[in-house]
Amino acid sequence: MSATDTLHARWSLDSGEHEHVVFLVEGMHCGGCARSIEKAVSALPGVLNVRVNNVTARASVEWRGRSATGLGQILDAVTRAGFKPVPLAGTAATADYQRERRAALKRVGLASLGMMQAMMYLSALYGVTDIDAAMTQLMRIAGMVIVTPVLFYSGAPFLAGAWRDLRSRRLGMDVPVALALLLAWLPSVWNTLRADGEVYFDSVGMFIFFLSAGRFVEMSVRHRSLNSAEALARSLPAQVTRLAADGSRERVTATALLAGDLFLVPKGSVVAVDAELAAEVSAGTQASLDESLITGESAAMRRGAGERIRGGSVNLGAPLTLRAVATVDESTLASMVRLLDRAQATRPALARAADRAASWFVGVILVLAVITAVGWWPIDPARAFAAVLAVLVVTCPCALSLATPAALAAATTRLARLGLLVTRADAVERLARADTVIFDKTGTLTGTSSGVTRVKLLNQSGAQVSQEQALAMAAALERGSAHPLAEAFRPHENANLRADALSEFAAAGIEGRIDGARWRLGRRAFVEELSAASVAPLENQDDGAQILLGNEQGLVAAIEVGVPLRAEAASAIESLRGMGHEVIIASGDSAIAVDGTARALGIRRAYSRLSPDDKIRLVQDLRAEGHRVFVVGDGINDGPVLAAADVSCAMGQGSAIAQSASDLLLVHDSLAMLPRAVTASRRALRVMRQNLGWALAYNLAAVPLAALGYVSPWLAALGMSLSSLGVVLNARRLATPEEAP
Amino acid sequence: MSISYVLVLLALGLFGCAVWAMFWAIDDGQYDDLEQHASAALEDENGDAPN
Repeated sequence: MSATDTLHARWSLDSGEHEHVVFLVEGMHCGGCARSIEKAVSALPGVLNVRVNNVTARASVEWRGRSATGLGQILDAVTRAGFKPVPLAGTAATADYQRERRAALKRVGLASLGMMQAMMYLSALYGVTDIDAAMTQLMRIAGMVIVTPVLFYSGAPFLAGAWRDLRSRRLGMDVPVALALLLAWLPSVWNTLRADGEVYFDSVGMFIFFLSAGRFVEMSVRHRSLNSAEALARSLPAQVTRLAADGSRERVTATALLAGDLFLVPKGSVVAVDAELAAEVSAGTQASLDESLITGESAAMRRGAGERIRGGSVNLGAPLTLRAVATVDESTLASMVRLLDRAQATRPALARAADRAASWFVGVILVLAVITAVGWWPIDPARAFAAVLAVLVVTCPCALSLATPAALAAATTRLARLGLLVTRADAVERLARADTVIFDKTGTLTGTSSGVTRVKLLNQSGAQVSQEQALAMAAALERGSAHPLAEAFRPHENANLRADALSEFAAAGIEGRIDGARWRLGRRAFVEELSAASVAPLENQDDGAQILLGNEQGLVAAIEVGVPLRAEAASAIESLRGMGHEVIIASGDSAIAVDGTARALGIRRAYSRLSPDDKIRLVQDLRAEGHRVFVVGDGINDGPVLAAADVSCAMGQGSAIAQSASDLLLVHDSLAMLPRAVTASRRALRVMRQNLGWALAYNLAAVPLAALGYVSPWLAALGMSLSSLGVVLNARRLATPEEAP
Repeated sequence: MSISYVLVLLALGLFGCAVWAMFWAIDDGQYDDLEQHASAALEDENGDAPN
């Protein structure tokens, strides 16, 4: 596939005489926005039709192919109107959905018109005696003419589904439905042809109407649940400026970028694909990026030449020239979307069990229908027929097999909105059942970048310096330093405080002048030398590095730099404990570091210096005691233990190995979402149980009533449709935010 | 009574017309988007309401 083909596949629905494109538009808030886009695009020559929907944020444009207007011009027009066009993830899937929706709508529409017409004619036959035979026959024929197309057009999915099931020797839920439809239709046709006896065309029409309307609503609800992958893909820019080999610039769609292409990223723009700094253009510079779109890490990240910059990062600093290392589809964001797709493509154990039960259930229903027929026949052959129809239609294996998937789809959407991607279908259920949480320390409970963890003011120099001032001075001295420790001071920079005459001493520290005075920041001996003073080291609480700040008059502050705890770690762990989880730290770090963290978080069980094997053994021991273990980790060495746990969650910034081994991915790295996710998954489990219970109760109640002849066939069709709708709508509740845990 | 025969046939014809019209409207995309056009009437003609 060439680049243009890929581009086309990504954006366009079809080509040829008329080009058609559907894309997402970001930044629309009202119908007025939609109208202004419509107007801007319609003004282009050759544009035939523009539709913009502000609710779904989609724009659909048709234009004459091979005219002056191309996709680029259309996207530019949208940009000029002040909005951002974004390629739709899976445009083809959307087109499929549109086709499917239209077809379903036609089936429901035909069934509803046909049902009303048929009822109008055939009700004339109910209990009316003073009507001549010719008129009666005309009514029968009219009913047949109307309902037969309804059966074979609107009812086609049921007939086809039943045929497919029978051919593969399975008993699907379409089998009893199709059987009931044909059982009602065939004798009616026979009676019409011989111009005598009962006809059931109105019942057939009504069955099909209720059933297809139910399926239509189900389809719409399910589609709404599956848009989380799209929301991720939406954060990418649609167009980039590519640098050609001769230095010229052109605007191209992001999907046209290939590995090796150079492209520009202005300040404040989103990097479209995974990339690295182009060394020949920007030698020695560092990129400053906000990766929060991808990882949730809000602190600016520095990337030097050769370091990977993830697609979806925002350029905070000067304009960058980047070299693409992957196409849009191969970039980090796309792989996250694929992880989501994997989850949505697999069916969890509970749903598979429900499917098996449904198939068994259909067998039972067919047997019950035969028993009903045999039972009623000697009593009243006419009622036998209605009772058999009712038994076949009233039972609803659909509710049974929809109960779990509907709840899971809704829960997955809810979790995605919390920033947790479900990458394995069983994860929701197992997260709800977990009772023990094991956290890794570094990168999970703590962040990954260093910061100032402690400051002790010494103020030997006489001048009273506040903590902020001390840190600002340290930051001024560290400005421009490439030493890893410099990162820790960056948040404390103060624009009014500048240091000059900076010089860096290897393995010692930095010296510079602030307001004319000589200052040093660095190792104990290096600073003490300048200050001609000494101080006892801070008592060691953490494994962070200790450095001193001082001038010629004396030492000013002792600063400890380490990897700080994530701000939300304490409250998240508190909430998890409140929900009945036991919280454990299992880390490969030293005892000092782990104990410090555990004390700060109030965790009593903390294990240090664990190898990956030790961690797995810990998980296995806990499981052997009957606990269900939820592991949260991030590193390469966490991969095995994540895979060994009942359910696991990897940090979005963590290693790819950890991510592919885990069931959940915490995209935004915010631990605060974990308790909410547990609440959401518990709600989902509750809804699944309600759904299964409701489906079972409905069927257990409805079947005997139908067999005894208390349920007329049309009521049966209504009951069946409502029971599956009830299940789906109950699941929809999960998409709303849960109350705070 | 013969008028009834005509009326039944006429109703059948109207049924056919209604089905055709509905299919046409669906294929034309008129039901693809039920939110947008309902609110369009409330918008200012030039799309930039003073606020």
